[in-house]
Amino acid sequence: MTTLTLVWITFPFLVGFLIYLVPRLDRYLTLLGVLFSVVYAAQLFIEPVPLTLRLLDRFGVSLVLDPLAAFFILTNALVTAAVIFYCWRSDRTTFFYAQTLILHGSVNAAFACSDFISLYVALEVLSIASFLLIAYPRSDRAIWVGLRYLFVSNVAMLFYLVGAVLVYKAHHSFDFIGLRGAPPEAIALIFLGLLVKGGIFISGLWLPLTHSESESPVSAMLSGVVVKAGVLPLVRCALLLEEIDPIVRIFGVGTALLGVFYAVFEKDAKRMLAFHTVSQLGFILAAPEVGGFYALTHGLVKSALFLIVGVLPTRNLKELQHQPIHTPIWIALVIASFSISGFPLLSGFGAKVLTMKNLLPWQIIGMNLAALGTAISFAKLTFLPFKQQTSEERSPLHPGFWIAMVVLLGGLFAANVVYYEAYSVANVVKPLVTIALGWLAYWLIFRRLIFKLPRVLEQFEHLIGVMSLSLVVLYWMVFA
Amino acid sequence: MLEAFVFATIFCGFFGIILKKNLVMKIISMDVMSTGVIAYYVVISAREGLFTPIASDIQKGAYADPVPQAVILTAIVIGFSIQALMLVGVMKLSRDNPTLESHEIEKGNMS
Repeated sequence: MTTLTLVWITFPFLVGFLIYLVPRLDRYLTLLGVLFSVVYAAQLFIEPVPLTLRLLDRFGVSLVLDPLAAFFILTNALVTAAVIFYCWRSDRTTFFYAQTLILHGSVNAAFACSDFISLYVALEVLSIASFLLIAYPRSDRAIWVGLRYLFVSNVAMLFYLVGAVLVYKAHHSFDFIGLRGAPPEAIALIFLGLLVKGGIFISGLWLPLTHSESESPVSAMLSGVVVKAGVLPLVRCALLLEEIDPIVRIFGVGTALLGVFYAVFEKDAKRMLAFHTVSQLGFILAAPEVGGFYALTHGLVKSALFLIVGVLPTRNLKELQHQPIHTPIWIALVIASFSISGFPLLSGFGAKVLTMKNLLPWQIIGMNLAALGTAISFAKLTFLPFKQQTSEERSPLHPGFWIAMVVLLGGLFAANVVYYEAYSVANVVKPLVTIALGWLAYWLIFRRLIFKLPRVLEQFEHLIGVMSLSLVVLYWMVFA
Repeated sequence: MLEAFVFATIFCGFFGIILKKNLVMKIISMDVMSTGVIAYYVVISAREGLFTPIASDIQKGAYADPVPQAVILTAIVIGFSIQALMLVGVMKLSRDNPTLESHEIEKGNMS
């Protein structure tokens, strides 16, 4: 198992660079790399004992592979596979596939790490690969959005590095558990880095523009998996140290509410989905013990939604209300929206029930409000007109899109088996009531509401400035 | 004393990123900030001594800690490659925005 783990980590990088030697086989090699991850994640689920690997004593690399990481790894594998199927017939270059595989590999590495410096390296490789994918179209807009992302991410990681060396100063080791005896500045700095990378709360306001301006398959990968690379370390720290647990939970509730607040007023489909990612990551943080299952369902559903919105004629929700969508696409959209709202029969329901069960009492109101907000904003996508269009009326849809949908939506149905205990009468009633209330609110209030929220906090200088404010706030949160 | 200077470097770099208007100056400020972080790692590794740890027959002296030095080498390389990528992006942006004012680029591309 140790050898398998090491091979699994290096395989995507090796193959990703070797793709340039055989450009003819680029899609097949990328798919091979991803399938290896699926096999590895399956193997990890049935492993009885969590695997802990250590290189070079206390101050070296340490990896922890357990079922929590397995959920995230499986998400990574399925989302990347779906994106590759979506892009199969398109005319993307070898460069795109190589970068996708390297991104996949670095996210895998980020999920496996258990010490701060290996995590730093994984997060930086991930930033570089994401930048190259975001800037792939080479237009001015894409280059600016990618540059902004890389800048913000690098500055956050510089703060993170200072925190990591303070942990080393206290313990002569970079392990996660070293946060226990570290000074409060160290915890504040490291959390700042992880909050920015994970797109949590106000530090994560770089996310909406970045995810909405990339191409659809890239948005699917970014929202579905890449932000989770910043979230899993937060979950691990919360599980390892009880002192940090309340801070992580507070951020979970805060980001869930902030995300849905922006999302219910959004008129652009992709920006709304991006704000939703911000919000759903809050659900993962609010209940750290069961975050893995929620991460899996969110990854599958968000990437499905981004791929579907990519084939719709326009991004503007107002225009979409007058232009009917092809019925099979509408069915896929409704299934995905139902899953994220928590409708029974889809694993989003099981994930929400499991999360709600593991909340502390003070979190319950906030998270329920966030669930209501989610139902309201996805009502915007559910209640769109649809009609069965003939092949002359609509633009042709390549079979790759449908294979991707089968992988993602099928995964949503299949993942029900993880938590089938959720299906009891009491549990089923509450999400249905929430969804009904959400749809009612949508029809009565939000359908005609036009309210533009200010985008001041998303400007580049404000993103950087907010980092210093977050640092101060975090320091006082840790100190208290 | 040395640590205070290092932190001053980090803060100068950070405020440069916020206060400078030109995109290239922002990238240079980020470089200053990363230099500060690198210097901090070197200061930490020099806590116990200044000699390079080489196993030999000479009597043991006060050795510097090699672990933060190794770690920061990785960070230096990553930081430098990220800057190279950013400067290529800036080169491409400069075709349409020759003054490289971040405000103007942002207004044109945020809509």
